[in-house]
Amino acid sequence: MAQAATVQEQHGHIADTNTGISNRKLLMWVFLASDCLFFGSFIATYLVYRNESIVGPYPNEVLDIPITSVSTFVLLMSSLAMVLALNYAQKDQLGLTRFWILAVAVLGAIFLGFQVFEFATFVNEGLTIRSNLFGTTFFILTGFHGLHVLIGVLWLLGTAFAHFKGALTSRSVEDLEMAGLYWHFVDIVWIIIFTVIYLIGFSDGEGLETIEHAATIIGG
Amino acid sequence: MNLRRLLRPLRSRFLLLIPIVPALLVACNKEDAQSTFGTSGPIADTQASLFIFIFWIAVVVFVLVEGALIYSILKFRRRESSDDSLPAQIHGNNKLEIIWTIIPVFILIAIAIPTIKTIYDHNGPPSDEGPVLEINVRAHQWWWEIDYPGEDVVTSNEIHIPVGQWVNFTMHSDDVIHSFWVPKLAGKLDIIPGDVRQLAMKADEAGFFFGQCAEFCGEAHAKMRFRVKAEEPEEFQNWLDSMRRPPVELVSDDAMAGQTLFAANCSSCHATNTWQAPAARNERTRLAGLRTAFIGNIEESAVIPAPNLTHFATRATLGAGLIELNSENLIKWIADPDDVKEGNRMKDLAAPYRNNSLSSDDVRQLSAYLLELKPVAADAVMEPASGGATGGTAEERGETVFTGSSGCSGCHSTGSDALVGPGLADLSSRSSDAEIHQSITDPSAVVVKDFPDSVMPQIFGSTLSSDELNDLIAYLKSL
Amino acid sequence: MTTIAFPTLISRPTSYTGLWSWIGTVDHKRIGTLYGVTAFLYFLIGGIEALIIRGQLNTAENDLVSPEIYNQLFTMHGTTMVFMVVMPMSAAFFNWMIPLMIGARDVAFPRLNGFSYWAFLFGSIFLNLSFVLGGAPDAGWFGYANLTGNTYSPGDGVTFWALGLTILGVASLAASFNFVVTILNMRAPGMGLMKMPVFVWMALVTNVLMALAMPVIAVALIQLGLDRVLGTNFFNPVAGGDPVLWQHLFWLFGHPEVYILILPAMGIVSETLPVFSKKPLFGYPAIVLAGAVIGFMGWFVWSHHMFTVGLGPAANSAFTISTMLIAVPTGVKIFNWMGTVWGGKLHLNTSMLFSLGFIAMFVIGGLSGVTHASPPTDAQQQDTYYIVAHFHYVLFGGSILGLFAGGYYWWPKMTGKRLGETIGKWHFWTMLIGFNLTFGPMHWLGLNGMPRRISTYAEGMGWETSNAIATVGAMLIAVGVLIFIINVIRTMSSKQKAEDDPWDGRTLEWSIPSPPPAYNFARIPQVKSVDDFWYTKHPELLHDERGEQTESAAPVEEDTHGGGSIHLPSMSYYPFVVAIGMSIGIVGFMDIRADIPSTDLQLPWLSVVGIVVGMWGLLGWIFEPVTAEGGH
Repeated sequence: MAQAATVQEQHGHIADTNTGISNRKLLMWVFLASDCLFFGSFIATYLVYRNESIVGPYPNEVLDIPITSVSTFVLLMSSLAMVLALNYAQKDQLGLTRFWILAVAVLGAIFLGFQVFEFATFVNEGLTIRSNLFGTTFFILTGFHGLHVLIGVLWLLGTAFAHFKGALTSRSVEDLEMAGLYWHFVDIVWIIIFTVIYLIGFSDGEGLETIEHAATIIGG
Repeated sequence: MNLRRLLRPLRSRFLLLIPIVPALLVACNKEDAQSTFGTSGPIADTQASLFIFIFWIAVVVFVLVEGALIYSILKFRRRESSDDSLPAQIHGNNKLEIIWTIIPVFILIAIAIPTIKTIYDHNGPPSDEGPVLEINVRAHQWWWEIDYPGEDVVTSNEIHIPVGQWVNFTMHSDDVIHSFWVPKLAGKLDIIPGDVRQLAMKADEAGFFFGQCAEFCGEAHAKMRFRVKAEEPEEFQNWLDSMRRPPVELVSDDAMAGQTLFAANCSSCHATNTWQAPAARNERTRLAGLRTAFIGNIEESAVIPAPNLTHFATRATLGAGLIELNSENLIKWIADPDDVKEGNRMKDLAAPYRNNSLSSDDVRQLSAYLLELKPVAADAVMEPASGGATGGTAEERGETVFTGSSGCSGCHSTGSDALVGPGLADLSSRSSDAEIHQSITDPSAVVVKDFPDSVMPQIFGSTLSSDELNDLIAYLKSL
Repeated sequence: MTTIAFPTLISRPTSYTGLWSWIGTVDHKRIGTLYGVTAFLYFLIGGIEALIIRGQLNTAENDLVSPEIYNQLFTMHGTTMVFMVVMPMSAAFFNWMIPLMIGARDVAFPRLNGFSYWAFLFGSIFLNLSFVLGGAPDAGWFGYANLTGNTYSPGDGVTFWALGLTILGVASLAASFNFVVTILNMRAPGMGLMKMPVFVWMALVTNVLMALAMPVIAVALIQLGLDRVLGTNFFNPVAGGDPVLWQHLFWLFGHPEVYILILPAMGIVSETLPVFSKKPLFGYPAIVLAGAVIGFMGWFVWSHHMFTVGLGPAANSAFTISTMLIAVPTGVKIFNWMGTVWGGKLHLNTSMLFSLGFIAMFVIGGLSGVTHASPPTDAQQQDTYYIVAHFHYVLFGGSILGLFAGGYYWWPKMTGKRLGETIGKWHFWTMLIGFNLTFGPMHWLGLNGMPRRISTYAEGMGWETSNAIATVGAMLIAVGVLIFIINVIRTMSSKQKAEDDPWDGRTLEWSIPSPPPAYNFARIPQVKSVDDFWYTKHPELLHDERGEQTESAAPVEEDTHGGGSIHLPSMSYYPFVVAIGMSIGIVGFMDIRADIPSTDLQLPWLSVVGIVVGMWGLLGWIFEPVTAEGGH
């Protein structure tokens, strides 16, 4: 925040608002707060239905933790690139800024590629959104996260190409700051999702819980 | 001008008067069938007295607050429309703020303590008040399936319980969320599909208590009612015994004709034979199979779980506690179920209604049959319960299975006509014994072209004995 | 700043009159008017649905409408009144009054504001089209799973409901972001948070609640929609799904939603009571704090809607305690309002009568709420007419009366004309009496065992008399609404102008002309205290009461050229285009039906069209400067 304020001063523009935060950036904060509840609800749904699938494929049969760890690493590195991009933007170094923005976008796109690959593999192994509760909750939760990443990638590409034709302005730096807020948020959400889906233990569906559940459905 | 000024305070008092009218009504009409005040059991008693306790606290607060409001409106209203002077400008008073924060806290604590005590008191039947009668309830759109575990007694929509004994209802739903509510005995509890709920209650006096589904459950929600009949323990035991005795011999010709019609048209969904212990034990599986068949093919399905009609004539009501059971109402019901209970599934699914093949004679005969469905007297000689399938050749016994309670004839003709399922004439030229056996016990294995999958219930492997299966196959091959 | 040239396919609207000027408007006052008019039309539609419901229940065994139609009516009545009447009517007041009360020239994001309205309009029209396109939703406004699944709701009605509400949810979210930023960022110099009018405070709490609660219902609706169109298993018990999850999500949204519906009305009466009592609001900090506490605690009481679900004694005890606790700040508000009235000089005009009626009725609704905050008594009352009575005392006796109070209060500011007073009083008394006749007897009906949502009832249950009284009351309410309409028509056709400050108001909106000019404030005011305008008019009071300096709060010279060259955001069609694209995109999912096996993941073509239109509009929006060159 302190950095941001400095930049604004450098560019001779101090947000003329009660809070000192520009309207656009405050909008981004409010949106992110709202989006927390959005992902929170989907993650809660995933947790409620963890180990509740009646039929397979179960998580341990399809999840490939090493591969997803790699894609998680890629996404984390994209956040680092985002920090660097913003750093160079604040130092008014247009070339390096654009390079690191493109790096963020490319890393994001690689993450999406991993996700497409993972989805395709799962479908081949018989897991679809209709198969069971795991399929339903997994695809929709990670799918909405992927949609957020996709929007972020498009936004960054747009920023890199459209906004920086001439020189960096205080407004385009602020654009980048907002994209950065969004990107870090999406990254943090992924860390939570990764933990919840891949790292917390899962059963193979033959636990007592599931059998009891099935029994109440069928007629106990 | 003077008149208006005179009237003004009077009009203001309306604020107080109007809401009091319904409050006054609370004192009366405990006799109404679903009154939550004219209670007949300890659970509902406690709930009502807790309500009345909170109600009087609320009345006191109501009178004080509304009284103060009306007083200040009358006292502080501007009396001259030209009076533009300002009253004393007071911004607040911290002492008052603290007082009117603290006092409500104490009032709410006074309400919360008995509330939480009652929540825990009502969590299951007390352990020190004798044995608990277990009853299973299954809620369906829009009727109630009842069975008494360990007693081999199945019925629907009318629940018999003994007076003075705690009853524990174990409740399931096969379709959507319902809520089990007998206002005079206990508050409601929702029944969640895929889960189980337990609700304990006790009747302190004999009576015929009204119940109703309280959670919106679809088109006929308003008519998903039921009755609880609380009887003296001896009377209750007599009823349980009677539900396990065979039905009386049919007397009228109409009833006998009705029996044939029922077997052909109604028996694939409605059971009348659970007075036999094996059938009673199998009833749950049979209905679950019908449910699976229905969900598997909602557009085309011809079957759905339907109320058990064993000893139907002993009941007091019809159509899930809707109307009194008598010949006139029953004829009206069978002739056009939708007219009595719009949305009910019988009109949509049952072949006779789909084909419009039910004549008024048929209706009369069916009604006559159902009204003769009652148990023999306790002292009547008990025949060995064998369902009449002992004599004759295998083909003859198989025909009895086909047209009888297994309900094959409800969907299949013995000619070449397709009803719900394909006609079965000349079956032996098309299928081997093993194929016929498979088609009966596992209908989805091979589905006849042009007929949808999952219409035929996957239940006959468990409902038919191997002898019955063999007889049935012998009969089918003879066609 | 350099931008690439975006091909402008539609030029900006330039005329300030006519249909196109309304479609392209970004003026918060015009958008407020659009919200208000639309919400009132839906109030009439929801009211007609209610009248048919009352007609059907007038007598036992009635067959005015079939159960099928009845279920559609009560579903749409609830959905309409919550999402298309009270929320947008509150949004109308937010739009009109927040900028005027905080001394701003517009909201923070004028085009986003236009988008919110158009998305609301398209979503609500789509939802209501279901009546003629194969049946309206019929699973209740609460849409409990799994009745809403394809198995038990095979028609398109529930899909209309899920998709339509999703569109309305996006509209509400956009609006709430906008108002939160506006209130936090755009207050006039000197107006600290604790100097804001209470209405603005309650608007802030309401919009924060919306920003946080709407995503939860959006997720639930997305899950339901996916279950219906793509065959997922979120609420499918056959696959192990738990229908109670829907209830948790729905009420986690639904209880904050109750406060979203009532807090704006509480804010309105917190403005009218001091003005018409000629006294400052009693305990301003207490009322503000109570509102914020209600907004916070509203997140921890949702399961009191689920006392009969069978969550167990521990959960029921916890939620009964949190529910009772929330009565405390609510009580604080009521006592402070009474403290405001006490010792005042009450001008009992129509707005004041509605405000006092609000308190009187809200107290009843609050107290009946306490009676079923106790799970054992709620076991008898849940899903009965007792609950129907309770929440109508809160939402009609509370929200609707409060909104009418605001309507009579701000009408002169918004239109430059005063609504008729005598006829207004007729309106008030007809409505108040009709309201109590309708919903008073319902307490008794519920205690006498009449469940909610039943399309008919048997004779001899003891319910006939109360139901007949309720029907008469409902007709009286309808008469009241008619009187209001007549009042509006007479007022608008009269030539008599209202003064700029007809009530001797306390807040900034009364310091400017009626109706306000497009730029609102020729000079941005400098604020020194709560009720700043009042103390500008009565500087001696500020001195007397607080011992502060008496210098008058002179407006700051902000624009030396006067109003003529104030830069206002220019009109734009893009919010309309984006809203239409997004709505079509969401509606396109109607194409897919999960229960038709052959349509295994077919592409929703309509959605593609919608997304293309929406993206085009969005790009146009991004590359269009907020203020057109040479425009203002």
